[in-house]
Amino acid sequence: MFKREMKINLKSFIIWTSVLMILFLIVFLMYPSIMNSENMKMMDEMLKIFPKEMLKAFNMDISSIDTAFGWMRTEGFVFVLLITGIYSGILGSNIVLKEENDKTIEYLNSVPVSRRKIVFSKILSALTYIFLMITILGIFNFIGLSIIEEFDKKLFVYLSITPVFSSIVIFSLCLFLSTFTHKTKKTLGISLGLVFISYFLQILSEMSDKTEFLKYISVFTLADIRNVIVNISIDPIMIIISISLFIIFTILTIIRYEKKELV
Amino acid sequence: MKEVIKIEGLTKYYGKIRGVEDINLTLKEGEIFGFIGPNGAGKSTTIRSIMNLINKTKGKVLIENKIFNKDDIEIKEKIGYLPSEINLYDDLTVKEMLNYHETFYKKNIHKRREELVKILQLDEKKKIEDLSLGNLKKLGIILALMHEPKILILDEPTSGLDPIMQNVFYNLLKEEKKKGTTIFYSTHILNEVSKICDRVGIIKDGKLIKVENIEEISNKNLTFITITSNEIEKIINDLKIEVIKKENDTIKFACKISHDELIKKLSNYTITKILIEEPTLEEIFLHYYK
Repeated sequence: MFKREMKINLKSFIIWTSVLMILFLIVFLMYPSIMNSENMKMMDEMLKIFPKEMLKAFNMDISSIDTAFGWMRTEGFVFVLLITGIYSGILGSNIVLKEENDKTIEYLNSVPVSRRKIVFSKILSALTYIFLMITILGIFNFIGLSIIEEFDKKLFVYLSITPVFSSIVIFSLCLFLSTFTHKTKKTLGISLGLVFISYFLQILSEMSDKTEFLKYISVFTLADIRNVIVNISIDPIMIIISISLFIIFTILTIIRYEKKELV
Repeated sequence: MKEVIKIEGLTKYYGKIRGVEDINLTLKEGEIFGFIGPNGAGKSTTIRSIMNLINKTKGKVLIENKIFNKDDIEIKEKIGYLPSEINLYDDLTVKEMLNYHETFYKKNIHKRREELVKILQLDEKKKIEDLSLGNLKKLGIILALMHEPKILILDEPTSGLDPIMQNVFYNLLKEEKKKGTTIFYSTHILNEVSKICDRVGIIKDGKLIKVENIEEISNKNLTFITITSNEIEKIINDLKIEVIKKENDTIKFACKISHDELIKKLSNYTITKILIEEPTLEEIFLHYYK
């Protein structure tokens, strides 16, 4: 069953991973030619005119975009966060619910397999792809960066790992939400909305002290890029919260799924 | 004989809407039980409750004297299920689907699979999304039968099959019966029930209104006659007919004498038109279970 899940989800995995890889490839190809040019310095100067809050929101106050790694720290990893987040959200809202949406659950329910095992196989397959996506991107970017410039390798590894925390929480939350309906089209919008609203709240929360409380309702706080850049470490509390949330949502999913009417 | 399926007080309400109410039924080993009723009577609700796809409001289902709970793998291994609408994984070929099915069972079921594919003449190379309704049904039948279950739950299994394949399928069921398989056969085709079932249960408006042996039903040998004649009043009086429906010169009635006797009697009159029909399911309901 796990094998079958892997096969079904392979195509979308390849598409999503490729999108990110192409984006980074373009950056890697572009940066060497603009890195030391006059334009870049001008650009850097220009950015300084922007309000501090705004720069802060995009991590530009603690990083600059004059190197490829600099760009990654400010924008690159935000893309990774968003795209792995969206990918995890779609997986979460689809992977179990698809059987009901396509009515194949009537078949699956009739063979000797428990509901719990169905959910576990699907979670395992989804986690494999989420981790695989983050790992492949990490390796790809590591190689790319190594070719064009010197960079802080420890910071890079930490930054590459952070999307794991927001992704597993988004995945498990969407999975849980999917147990409330029978149609995938209902959950897809919710999961995408969840990712974008979280991201938006995250940006707002960093702009000023008044809006700081917003970070407590954004999943991206868990992948705290800012803290990683400043302290070159991952806050263990975030790891614990992420894993706990993941486990809680998974348990809730199973409880609900075992009681659910499947048609 | 051993009780294989026992349904006790099964009740299902969808909110306030009735699904089925207080269904009690026992199936003995090796019997084919026909479960008939019009659309919306609660056939599928009963089957889906047995299969635990939906939650029962009240009541329980016992399989070989053991309550059949949702995740009882052991019981599930003994059941072959064919839903009325077959939905399978469109991205797979027939071969891949059958391979996938094999992975769920501990015992080796490959040999029976090959036999069934041959008997039902299904092309394993085809993609499921390209299968016609009939071929999809064949695949469903193979999936239900290939692990040699002791219990078969079939929901309208012949819809979509051509007459030749229907006969092939009936023969398959007769073979299963010989092996001692217990079969729960839901349908709305009366003809089918009289052909293969031992007993029949009639469900109407969510209630099981009658369970009867097929022999008893066929002994009643009910047919409906429609006659048009100028002498219609005379015919009614002379033959003492209980008219079901009368429209000008045309009457409809249930024939209680042999056809031979009827035709001999009618030969004394001028008949414009005569129609002899097997009763529809609804007519049986109306006639016997008012």
